[in-house]
Amino acid sequence: MHINELSLKNYRNYESLDLTFDHKVNVIIGENAQGKTNIMESIYVLALTKSHRTSKDKELIKWDESYAKIKGSVVKRNRQFPLELIFSNKGKKAKLNHIEQQRLSDYIGALNVVMFAPEDLNLVKGSPQERRRFIDMEIGQIQPIYVYHLGQFQKILKQRNALLKDYQRKQQMDRTMLRVMTEQIIEHAATIIHRRFKFLQLLRKWAQPIHLGISRHLEKLEITYDASIEVSENMELSKIVEVYQKQFEDMETKEIERGTSLIGPHRDDLVFHLNGKEVQTYGSQGQQRTTALSLKLAEIELIYSEVGEYPILLLDDVLSELDDHRQSHLLNTIQGKVQTFVSTTSVDGIEHDTLKKAEIFHVHQGAVSKEG
Amino acid sequence: MYYPEPISKLVDSFTKLPGIGPKTAVRLAFFVLNMKEEDVLDFAKSLVNAKRELTHCSICGHITDQDPCSICQDDTRDETTICVVQDPKDVIAMEKMKDYRGKYHVLHGAISPMDGIGPEDINVPTLISRLKDENVQELILATNPNIEGEATAMYISRLVKPAGIKTTRIAHGLPVGGDLEYADEVTLSKALEGRREL
Repeated sequence: MHINELSLKNYRNYESLDLTFDHKVNVIIGENAQGKTNIMESIYVLALTKSHRTSKDKELIKWDESYAKIKGSVVKRNRQFPLELIFSNKGKKAKLNHIEQQRLSDYIGALNVVMFAPEDLNLVKGSPQERRRFIDMEIGQIQPIYVYHLGQFQKILKQRNALLKDYQRKQQMDRTMLRVMTEQIIEHAATIIHRRFKFLQLLRKWAQPIHLGISRHLEKLEITYDASIEVSENMELSKIVEVYQKQFEDMETKEIERGTSLIGPHRDDLVFHLNGKEVQTYGSQGQQRTTALSLKLAEIELIYSEVGEYPILLLDDVLSELDDHRQSHLLNTIQGKVQTFVSTTSVDGIEHDTLKKAEIFHVHQGAVSKEG
Repeated sequence: MYYPEPISKLVDSFTKLPGIGPKTAVRLAFFVLNMKEEDVLDFAKSLVNAKRELTHCSICGHITDQDPCSICQDDTRDETTICVVQDPKDVIAMEKMKDYRGKYHVLHGAISPMDGIGPEDINVPTLISRLKDENVQELILATNPNIEGEATAMYISRLVKPAGIKTTRIAHGLPVGGDLEYADEVTLSKALEGRREL
């Protein structure tokens, strides 16, 4: 799939911007703080309705304006359709094919993107929250119903934590109410974990050969799921539900004591090993970066295998962060099949056919001009 | 404000109503100025009367001008069945259907610990005492199909189970007259869960 038109209104530093794109590689060149990343971000937001940089939608609206609009024209399976997102102080509206979608889960997935930004290089050594966000975003793109379960889970979690906090404060409780909420939370927690397991199996399948390739057949990548309960990946959904029921029962007193939910997918993590050594603790910075790169490249293939079309790849200021070998590995992978947006301060020193054939855009103080 | 005091006061009063913003409030206020005096008096009277004369039924909690309400007083209705709803508006919706001949119990809300609303803050205790005093055989839980409504229904069913009263939950799934292809995945999966044998 690819995007051939993008128009921004009151988005970040852009008052109004209309761009048309080549379906292969597009390079956005500009000095720092000119608005390169904002363009990359807007494509990401158009696909996922959320920014990778902030959780506050308000920040996307240009200073002193009341709304922001992103419009894009997407070509998927030889069909072209428009996507539109409007942010205002009342919230966001998502339109697919001109029709407003009441549920974001009906909208997300129409356009698939994979973003690789400097922050992503920290995926391996960063906080568990970043890894959960990574896995949640990726599953959400290919299985919209996952977004629903995640949303329900978070709502119930808030209610359940409020209840536990209340018990802790008052030193008295109504266990029936707690058990009702436990039952509610298990339904979604188990589905989330079950879908994460399925996703991991796919991710592993694609990431391992890619990592072997980048590391010149020296490193074997292993990805494991570190759950807050005792489950294994091949468990049936009903079995996971049972395990949760048992563990929530065992934890009940402790949870009341601490006044918060102690188990659930919001406490889980991903662990990476290279040749048996844990990358987060023992890996070199280079190994951590290569692992992050392998995961991102695996995502591209994974989305292709699940959706039937390649996603759009957004490389935000990362090319310069990679050495020649990794750079060319990355550019070889995308060659000719993945629509790619590259933002960089300069293309000097990047000698690759893929970039020579690219469409070049120059960004200067919020104005964009196409080269040639 | 640029308006004379009586108008700005009226505008302020209108903005207190749900769904009415400052613009609509101004429009309504000026409309009132052009209304016939007797219509305005009537309007004001209805407002005051609605507030003064309506109370909550001491048995079921439904809004009523006589206590107990007409539904609770109606001997032809089946008193062995109680339908539990969140809101008086839900009773009206059920009554429009004209098929249900049992009684009601209005909770006035749903359990939501985040908002500090526990079972005692809604009409759950009165429901329990009703179940003790009256000869109820079935409790139909018709709270909203969202997290709070679902939690409230589950909670009540747990409380009532030991007493041996049959509790049922209204079905959720596809709207009647709708097309399968337009249903969202979540509704569809709920509908599939609740399928029944023909």
